[in-house]
Amino acid sequence: MLDALPYRLATIAVLVALFAIPLVVHDDYYLHLFIVSGIFAAAVVGLDLIVGYVGQLSLAHAAFFAMGAYTSALLFIRLHWSMWLGLPAAALLVGVVAIVLGSIILRTRGHRFIIITVVFAELMRLVATNWVDMTRGFMGLPGLVVPPLVLPGIGAIDLTSKSRFYYVVLVAAIVAFVICRVIVRSSIGRKFVLIRENEPLAESLGISAFRYSMIAFAVGAAIAGAAGSLYAHYVGFVSPDLFNFSYVTIMLIMVILGGKGTLVGPALGAVIFTFLPEFLREASHWRMITFAAILIAATLFMPKGIVFPLLTHLLPRERRLRNARAA
Amino acid sequence: MSPTITILAQHLLNGVLIGCAYALIAMGLTMIFGVMNIANFAHGEFYMLGGFVAFYLVSLMRLDYFVALPLAVAVVVALAVVLQHSIFRRLREAPVMTTTLVTIGLSIFLENAALLLWGPQPQSIPTPFPPKPLSFLGVYTTPLYLFCMAVTAALIVVGHVLIRRTRMGKAMRATFQNKEASALVGIRIDRIYAYAFAFGAALAAAAGAVLGGFIPVEPASGGVITLKAFIVVILGGMGSFVGAIVGGLLLGLAEALGAGYLPNGWKDAIGFFAVILVLLLRPEGLFKRA
Amino acid sequence: MPTFRLVLTVVVSLALAPFAFAQDNVRIGVVQPTTGPVAYDGNIYVSTVKMLVDDMNAKGGVLGKKIELVVEDGACNPAQSVNAAEKLVVRDKVVALLGAFCSTSTAAVMEVAKKHKIPLITGISTAAQLTEQGNPYFFRAVATTPMLGNAFGPVLPKALHAKRFAFLALNDDWGRSMVASYPKAIESAGGEIVATEFFQQSDLQFLSQITKVKASNPDAIVSNANTQQAVALSKQIRELGITVPLVGEGSWTSDSYIKLAGPAAEGVYGLVEYVYTIRNPINDAFVKEFQAKLKENPTKFAGAAHNAIHIMVDAIRRAGAADPEKIRTALERTDYNGLVGNIKFDEKHQAYGQTVYLARVTKGIPEVIETAKISKP
Repeated sequence: MLDALPYRLATIAVLVALFAIPLVVHDDYYLHLFIVSGIFAAAVVGLDLIVGYVGQLSLAHAAFFAMGAYTSALLFIRLHWSMWLGLPAAALLVGVVAIVLGSIILRTRGHRFIIITVVFAELMRLVATNWVDMTRGFMGLPGLVVPPLVLPGIGAIDLTSKSRFYYVVLVAAIVAFVICRVIVRSSIGRKFVLIRENEPLAESLGISAFRYSMIAFAVGAAIAGAAGSLYAHYVGFVSPDLFNFSYVTIMLIMVILGGKGTLVGPALGAVIFTFLPEFLREASHWRMITFAAILIAATLFMPKGIVFPLLTHLLPRERRLRNARAA
Repeated sequence: MSPTITILAQHLLNGVLIGCAYALIAMGLTMIFGVMNIANFAHGEFYMLGGFVAFYLVSLMRLDYFVALPLAVAVVVALAVVLQHSIFRRLREAPVMTTTLVTIGLSIFLENAALLLWGPQPQSIPTPFPPKPLSFLGVYTTPLYLFCMAVTAALIVVGHVLIRRTRMGKAMRATFQNKEASALVGIRIDRIYAYAFAFGAALAAAAGAVLGGFIPVEPASGGVITLKAFIVVILGGMGSFVGAIVGGLLLGLAEALGAGYLPNGWKDAIGFFAVILVLLLRPEGLFKRA
Repeated sequence: MPTFRLVLTVVVSLALAPFAFAQDNVRIGVVQPTTGPVAYDGNIYVSTVKMLVDDMNAKGGVLGKKIELVVEDGACNPAQSVNAAEKLVVRDKVVALLGAFCSTSTAAVMEVAKKHKIPLITGISTAAQLTEQGNPYFFRAVATTPMLGNAFGPVLPKALHAKRFAFLALNDDWGRSMVASYPKAIESAGGEIVATEFFQQSDLQFLSQITKVKASNPDAIVSNANTQQAVALSKQIRELGITVPLVGEGSWTSDSYIKLAGPAAEGVYGLVEYVYTIRNPINDAFVKEFQAKLKENPTKFAGAAHNAIHIMVDAIRRAGAADPEKIRTALERTDYNGLVGNIKFDEKHQAYGQTVYLARVTKGIPEVIETAKISKP
């Protein structure tokens, strides 16, 4: 059904629009917001794999993001590795850490799993804060830069302007999305869903929940690490603040309110919940209270999220199907 | 007494003071978890609200300290009852992710509401105790610290007695062990839930109100407290009261001794290393479910 | 054709309008925490700057134009401070920046200032590394911890009647910098360091560390903390039976500290860059106006704000134009006499020459006991 023409057209239209944004939007401030949205979109589609598809609430994801940022920053500062090397290195390192962590905790379920991911994230924060010789603690790591793109024959293309860096982020976000989409649509993805819906049945069929959870966990973490690297080089500065629980919160809001288990939902959630707080700059506490209330209400009454169901209402085929079912 | 022994005794006393608080808070958390199967991420906010409401009652409404404390706990209990009735009642059979997300949302809601009401400044609750320290063989404490220890210890004992001896306590333990069977024999699950949630919140709020006299409380305190409470509960065993008490005291003592004798900055890591050890060696925690 | 010309005129006017507005006002951007854990102090900074700018505008502003302040909330969060700075520079087109209070946020905003070539002054952030990064657009108008240590370290043993000093410091750059730099100065005056303990930013009970300090039998305790931790530390130190003097960098002489700490504040010493009891004509006028308009005594953050905005506006005046690059050059040649004496910047854009104060809380009032001048680092 997802190959149906309306969906294909919509996808092409969206891609064209995304690529056209810097041509239409010249205001650096808005481009900045688009860039940050894109980075978070990449991070949260990875989170959706474990939260939406496998159905385990991992609160360590923001820590993976921050670890990717720190890895890339440290490689740049100590070994002078540019972002082109630092990004894949960060993804790899964070993926490995996720595998190690997962091997300890992915056999537990439910509450203990969730709490342990929180404990892990807090432990990472303590390391970043206290291992001063390595991370400079609270002072953070400044001076990170966006490297030029050196192509043979063309030379070095400067990417520091916001409109140019936007394309880097857009490509990265699309790659992240495609990776997740491919996994989700494959037999691996179907096994994710089976584990989520009926784990005992899956185990009885020989599908190891541990193994498949590990795939979602590690791939999601690696993507988050890569997104963290992009963030570090863009902002130019990394500090232990990146491990604050507020990042966990905002990523959860993006995934849950966007619509978990849909990939598109969280990506949209990333855009909406990057722009919305900026527009509501004045009302900082009311803003968080409202988001929290919506999160509670949505979890209780709208388990499919808000954004994605709203979107699917707009497509003609869905409406026809719904009407047919209602009749 | 030799100085080394005096200092050791001082560290131990400090550890008991903090450990009692951890134990009390963790008891509440484990109660909510055991009966309702909910990991209450907003637990630290009950502590924080207990502290803030007590502060408000004592310093702004000028109530007597010994009246304000129970009243503060009562206010938080009322809030808990409202939350239970409006939200948690619907979540009886809900999956883990749902209940956790709701408590996370609740935690953000309460922290920001506190920021709106009281601002970000930490506040200490003015107490009627004289600040002059008392000393015994070179070990120092104050009347306030003794009061804190006495109250928290008393509440722990009361909690223990309530669970073990009263009908309500027995009904709670039955629900703990087997919900369906309990419902079948006529135990009103809804009522049990409400009592468990209220009781859990009350313990946390009491800790906040009592400790707020010497540890300033701020809206952001909730997060740190929740994390400590979870660590204790993982160490002691999720759903075990004895585990919460022993775990809390052990953590308090370990942190005090660690801060006293290990190099700087390792104090907070102690809890985490203990969690990792427990996970590797005895994942269910020190004690099984009560 | 006439319609075309009309349309063209309208379009061109609209396109040039922003420039027209920019020429009427000198826009200065302020990134401060107006929400978050240090919002109270951040808001005092902002109120002070607004009050002083209103005064300046009443006297004609600078270069014949009014000064326009644009304030954005950085919340002492680096990412948010970066967003705030980007907005001020890109959308509001400010020609200068003040901020961002916490050293980590200032470090992040420094990168934005460098990228967009806008001069930035901080009156508060004391992390040493900030001036070590060779950022030509960043200026620090406050003494760092090592500079305070050099100024007062030799004075402390005599002023506190102490030989054995124990440190109880915050485990961050600020505290570690204190522990690294003060001992030499203290030892040069005959003191000795008998203990060094640290506490975390999030700690609110310090019983273990205080017990360890007590075990070392000090004659004085040196610390650093802001209001909430200072209050808890003072109380708990006295509650554990330590009666020796306590001296600290941070918020140990502010009114909010004195009120919250109660009897524990009595006799506490503060090493401060500003305190409202300083006696000189500029401060006398400042305190009077502050009390009248903001109904309290100015804190050290108000003093920091006074310095920062005055130095910036002084530089704009000497630059002769509201041009960021000219302002930056003018800042380098600063020779400003103000609230706390004379301030110049060295090659790393670090301020020196100002007076700093050792104040003691006596019956609830922070009295100045000793002064010293910050020498060129």
